[in-house]
Amino acid sequence: MTTLLIAAAKAPVIDYKGISPLFAVAGGAVIVLMAALIRGRFAQRVLVPFLTVGALGAAIGLSIWNWHTGDSRPIVEGALAIDPLALGLSLLFYITGLATVAFAWRSRALRESGTGEFFGLMLGSIAGMTILGSAENLITLFVGIELLSIPLYVMCASDVRRETSLESGLKYLVIGSVGSATLLYGLALIYGATGHTGFAEINNAIGNSVNLTDPLLLTGIALAAAGLAFKASVAPFHAWTPDVYEGAPTPVTAFMAVATKTAAFAVILRFFLEALVSAQEQWAPALAALAVITIIVGNVGAIAQNSLKRMLAWSGVAQAGYMLAGVVVGTQLGLQATAFYLAMYLFMNLAAFGVVIARERVSEHGDGLKSLEGLGSASPLLAWPMTIAMLSLAGFPATAGFIGKFYLISAAVDGNWAWLGVMIVVGSMLSLVYYLRVIAVMWMTPLKIELPGRPRRARREVQPVAGWSPEADPRAQPEVLLVTLIMAAATIFFGIVPSPLFHLAHDVGTSISALFS
Amino acid sequence: MIFEDVVFFIAAIGALAGAAGVVILRNPFYSVLSLVGHLFFLAVLFLLLRAQFLAAAQLIVYAGAVMVLYVFVVAYIGGAEEPIGQNVPGIRPLGVLFAACLLAELCIAVIGTGLKALDTRGAHVANGFGGPAQIGSLLLKQYLIPFEAASYLLLIAAVGALVLARKRRGFEELTEEGRPA
Repeated sequence: MTTLLIAAAKAPVIDYKGISPLFAVAGGAVIVLMAALIRGRFAQRVLVPFLTVGALGAAIGLSIWNWHTGDSRPIVEGALAIDPLALGLSLLFYITGLATVAFAWRSRALRESGTGEFFGLMLGSIAGMTILGSAENLITLFVGIELLSIPLYVMCASDVRRETSLESGLKYLVIGSVGSATLLYGLALIYGATGHTGFAEINNAIGNSVNLTDPLLLTGIALAAAGLAFKASVAPFHAWTPDVYEGAPTPVTAFMAVATKTAAFAVILRFFLEALVSAQEQWAPALAALAVITIIVGNVGAIAQNSLKRMLAWSGVAQAGYMLAGVVVGTQLGLQATAFYLAMYLFMNLAAFGVVIARERVSEHGDGLKSLEGLGSASPLLAWPMTIAMLSLAGFPATAGFIGKFYLISAAVDGNWAWLGVMIVVGSMLSLVYYLRVIAVMWMTPLKIELPGRPRRARREVQPVAGWSPEADPRAQPEVLLVTLIMAAATIFFGIVPSPLFHLAHDVGTSISALFS
Repeated sequence: MIFEDVVFFIAAIGALAGAAGVVILRNPFYSVLSLVGHLFFLAVLFLLLRAQFLAAAQLIVYAGAVMVLYVFVVAYIGGAEEPIGQNVPGIRPLGVLFAACLLAELCIAVIGTGLKALDTRGAHVANGFGGPAQIGSLLLKQYLIPFEAASYLLLIAAVGALVLARKRRGFEELTEEGRPA
């Protein structure tokens, strides 16, 4: 008993340097919430967004400060890994957060839910993603995924007086809870089979004290994979994606499409390649089947869509399939390729969503494909980023998407999964149908000048659409335009000069040293 | 020994019946009451495992606090008359089929491994396992990060609840914009 007490009295060593990016976002959320109590336009419009940007900027700086290559011991009693995989993907969350601040700044959702609450929830969700990306045991993983999801449910519904937004939040809540429950069940079974919660211990137990074909372990892996597939919108667990993406306020959709997907893949990468890599021959065929289904379902589903948000949702499903192929390979190259693709995915998707946001605020068609008609001659500053984003998503040479897909395919071929590489190519060919349609609508329909300021129909007939506000002047959304242009420029830049990101991806690949290089 | 066995089977049957009642009963109020029963019997099972702290926490937190909240919400909102969702033809048998497959899979998994230890004395645990001291030290040492993150999650969830539920000024503004309130 005395030994127990002495042991209990020793506090765990906390590596404050390693955990500092998490403190920056989690603390930032609290500061933002407090600052939002100050009344007045300045505090609401300038101070709170500025503090949010400051928290994210601090987190970016602290992540870079922590950057090192190679595997490292997890901190705080093995709860969090501060390795390039966690830090690199966290950078993507923070950058997405910065873009979302710009996207949301004039949105209706922000005014409906309150500036402080909206940004506080967003920072809370990003804190969850940070925890999730570096989770080193099952408990941390689950708490992280809940901390990611719960603020997102509310953010989807944050345009509370629009029915579709509420519907989207409720749908996401219900399906997200089913996914979480499935995941939790799977994690419990894995714990039951191996007797450990730590990833490293689980990996040691598999094959040694636990048989590889142990039904409890296999069922646990299957249920956990299904639960994570819900979050990453991998088919056949994707059915919520188009509805939720369409209904949610578009800045939230952009945040979900990029950050949530990156977080889901961060945990999939770490969970499968670190905790379950000994059982790779068991899960790899199953995940490969999911990847193929996802690529086909996503690309076919996107073809018939007329809403840009729905189209991007289906395209996100297809892209999840490509990235899952990188996980299946299970080598360092696969890890690098997936991380690299996630970065590319951020640039091209944020560029596309920026254009959707800018257009839906002024167009009577909302986020419909028609809102882009004649955009090529009306405002080339928006048409070009959209064109670049679409070409990149389809994987055209000289864009970031091409390099990303090339990297994924080479990783697949290298790891003896060549047919998965072929599936990526087939999927990309299918995807041209809907990506090129967007480009055709922008550049090949005759110019129709829309009256700036408000939709053409009288104000009384207009249904409020996400992000639309009467006082938003279409030509004065410099923050959206700026983010869109930066993202499009990055898409082209990293398509031509990918080597800086190659180096980062290589560092990320070294995070899990147990993998075959 | 016999006494323990008897209590175990009563508690196990009670817990299963309670869980089944939650999904079978049509009236949400009875569902919630059934859940209370389920949690009570779970607490008895924890007691049999000599985890007194968990049993007490289960009763106080779940059966006591959380379920009272549920009962209040159900009593406040009611709505037993409203049908849950529309019936899409063809979905129902498909759902039953998938649920049956999942059940079979889980049964194979649990019976395949979990019941191997049924005839043994079970895992050897040290004295004080599952006691408050050990749980406290686990929460503040090995699981410090999830523990703190969970409390942070509660804060964020409270903010989220505020966003959705707080009173809003200016509902009239919405009617002006062309949609009936």
